[in-house]
Amino acid sequence: MRPSPVTSTSKFDVDNPIAAQLDDEIASLQSQIASLKTRRKLQAATIISSHSSKSTLSRLRNSTQPPSNPATSVASQTLSPEESNPLFATSKLQTLHNQQNLYRFCGTITAFHIRDPDPNAVDSGNVLGLRIDVAASGKFITPYYIFLNKPFPDPQLLRVHRHTVPSYIPLAQLASRHLPHGKGAVAMNALKGEKRQDLTRFVRALRREIVAYHNRISVINCLRKSLQLDENSSTSRKGKGRERVIVDVSAADAEAKQLRIEWHDGRIGRCAVDGRGEVRKCVIIGEDGLRDRDNERAVEGGRIEGIADRLKEGIY
Amino acid sequence: MSSLSIPTTSALLSLQLIPSSHPTVIKTLTRLSRPSLLSLALDWLDERNIEITAPYLADEEEEDPNDLYPPAHSLDALRGIYSELQAGKGTKRDVVDRVLEGDWREGINLYQLAMADMQYLYDHQASQKWTALRIVRLSSGADDTESTKLKSIPRFHPATFLRNLKREVLPDVKAHYNLDRHPTLPLLILRIFIVESPYNTSLALTSQNETTLDSNKVFYVAFPDESPFVYVSLNTSLAAPNQPISRLDTKSLRKLTLEGIAKAFSRPRERYKLESTHMSARNLTALVERRGGGRTNAAGGGWSIYASEKDDGSDNPLNMQLPTPTPSTPDKDDSGQNLDEENKENRGLKRRQPENERLVKRRKMVAGIRFGNIAKADDGKGIEQLTIRIIDPFPSSSGAHVLPDPLADELGALDPPPKKSKGRRSTIHLELEQDMVDDGEEDEFRPTIDMVFSGSHVFAGIRELVEAGVVDGERMPGWMTGEEGVSLGVVRQGRVRGWKGSGL
Repeated sequence: MRPSPVTSTSKFDVDNPIAAQLDDEIASLQSQIASLKTRRKLQAATIISSHSSKSTLSRLRNSTQPPSNPATSVASQTLSPEESNPLFATSKLQTLHNQQNLYRFCGTITAFHIRDPDPNAVDSGNVLGLRIDVAASGKFITPYYIFLNKPFPDPQLLRVHRHTVPSYIPLAQLASRHLPHGKGAVAMNALKGEKRQDLTRFVRALRREIVAYHNRISVINCLRKSLQLDENSSTSRKGKGRERVIVDVSAADAEAKQLRIEWHDGRIGRCAVDGRGEVRKCVIIGEDGLRDRDNERAVEGGRIEGIADRLKEGIY
Repeated sequence: MSSLSIPTTSALLSLQLIPSSHPTVIKTLTRLSRPSLLSLALDWLDERNIEITAPYLADEEEEDPNDLYPPAHSLDALRGIYSELQAGKGTKRDVVDRVLEGDWREGINLYQLAMADMQYLYDHQASQKWTALRIVRLSSGADDTESTKLKSIPRFHPATFLRNLKREVLPDVKAHYNLDRHPTLPLLILRIFIVESPYNTSLALTSQNETTLDSNKVFYVAFPDESPFVYVSLNTSLAAPNQPISRLDTKSLRKLTLEGIAKAFSRPRERYKLESTHMSARNLTALVERRGGGRTNAAGGGWSIYASEKDDGSDNPLNMQLPTPTPSTPDKDDSGQNLDEENKENRGLKRRQPENERLVKRRKMVAGIRFGNIAKADDGKGIEQLTIRIIDPFPSSSGAHVLPDPLADELGALDPPPKKSKGRRSTIHLELEQDMVDDGEEDEFRPTIDMVFSGSHVFAGIRELVEAGVVDGERMPGWMTGEEGVSLGVVRQGRVRGWKGSGL
């Protein structure tokens, strides 16, 4: 029964104020230690991947290598320079890590191989992992992962095994189009076939959807910003004369492909955006049930980013 | 109250009053605890609700000296009274009496009743059993254009949905609809209260007959945000055994409501149907995790480490620090060998103690690999029942995909094979049998084994068993970790068939 000591200590805290104070102190010290440790790790990583330390290391390696070279028979017993000096090993790991990071933020799609922990997993647990790194509003967010395995009689056919893609990305539709299985499906390395699986196309289409979604979300945030919707009324007191004409812009559906625009006089607009970011359709209806054709034309005439500017032209 | 009642197809209005003495009203209010009853009363007195839920206030002229609960003169005074009650002590009975005989003596309207019911639902998360259903587009054969095909979630607009749903209700029953936002979870909950009466006036509600106003006919539908699922709770367990309502009645209502939901989602040239996802649970938090709009839908068990956000930023490709090995990275086989070697070295007198410690540590690590960050006893995301049917051939000598014996003994949950029972679980059996169609049966001995794991948090329990060494964490099949994300499944070759975790 492991939980019992934990609960008893917490009870102890409640009873004893001094103990609670000490605990607080310990907690703060521990957080300090943690932050210092991360700083040290960061410094170490920076130093070891810096150019000068790399050149120093390579010089060191060259100086240690010649003696071990002639004695090839002994080499199996003596440790290789990478193992004898932890610096070499760390440097190698760090270089690999840096290279991986480089691929991750430049190529944004990276693949890796993992094992399924399930003992009954198909294909002896071999799983291909795909990582899609996406940056949203200037920051890299938690990557999206897709795991593929090969459960079919044809050992080359892939199937999405697990994934961390939210429902608003049409993963199932993309998978059925680019990774078909069932009768007539052929693997990627087949030259032709009606239902040829194509992993590259699948991942590209998927990444495109994910990036487009995040772009739409950030564009909506930008629209709100340029229309000054998120500012409090107290901060924008200065421009009292300029009353807000548009009171709300928000995504109307989960995929953020529809926008809802609300005017202060009760007009409500809906516009549909396609995957490329072009505004396809727009309807604006006032409280009296009449459509606002001028603004509809303004919204429809271009891309999603320009909605605010085009509307402003009409207002001011 | 109008003097003329005409049968109509429109819905019941929120303002319809039910007399305070009605058994349903009393039952609904007495279910609540005292603090939630008081906060509910204060909600009724809130500015936003006051138009619909106005209390009985005193008139200037007449004051009854015999009145047990003299009516307050202003809203503020009444708010003060209830705030005082909140601070003080007392019994629940007093509050119920005060509400029903004092401040809302003229009756409780349907909106208030709905609020009380929702309050109960939030207080008692486990009071309803929710079944997750997937909204699937009916394929019309002809291929649509690309843009519509790529839409994964039907658009949900509450007002339009309700209008469409109202159209599907039969004219001889009346329903009251109430939409509410869940306080903590990303859910919109629709409460459908069905009254068996063709009238939508107060005539329908004044009858003292308990069958017309019955808590049995309250259905809940929950709409998680940004997800192609709905959770329905159509069979409440509140049915008292001696109630004069027939089973068939509720069943047909349930069926109609289900059909109505799918139709209400549909639009011209865009039809939807509901599909089972083999997942039902009492815990809404667990359902949101497994069938919600987030990243965790198809990443259960050990895969959950990929879905969770890393606090330390180790996920960020701009992070230069070398990743510290997480429990998932060390290879299991390697560590196993190390352990064995170390055990050999440790063959001293004090062998037992360190070995046990290492073993415990190792078991914890294995549990960490298999379960990831989920299935912890205190995360409040437990499902209370997992039904698994194994249709694998009986293992002759070695069976990797059969449960270790100790577990079966421990849980005592090995069900006898089904015998065409017509009981409560008939729907489960139906679904299981549908899954069993098209099985190429060979000559092997294939017993059908049904297993039911039940408890407050099934997967946390299994995790604890792994940590305690009762279940071998490495040979344990994947469906025991919850990574398949089903609460009902057929296991073949050690894997759950059909849903397959990702649902694709």
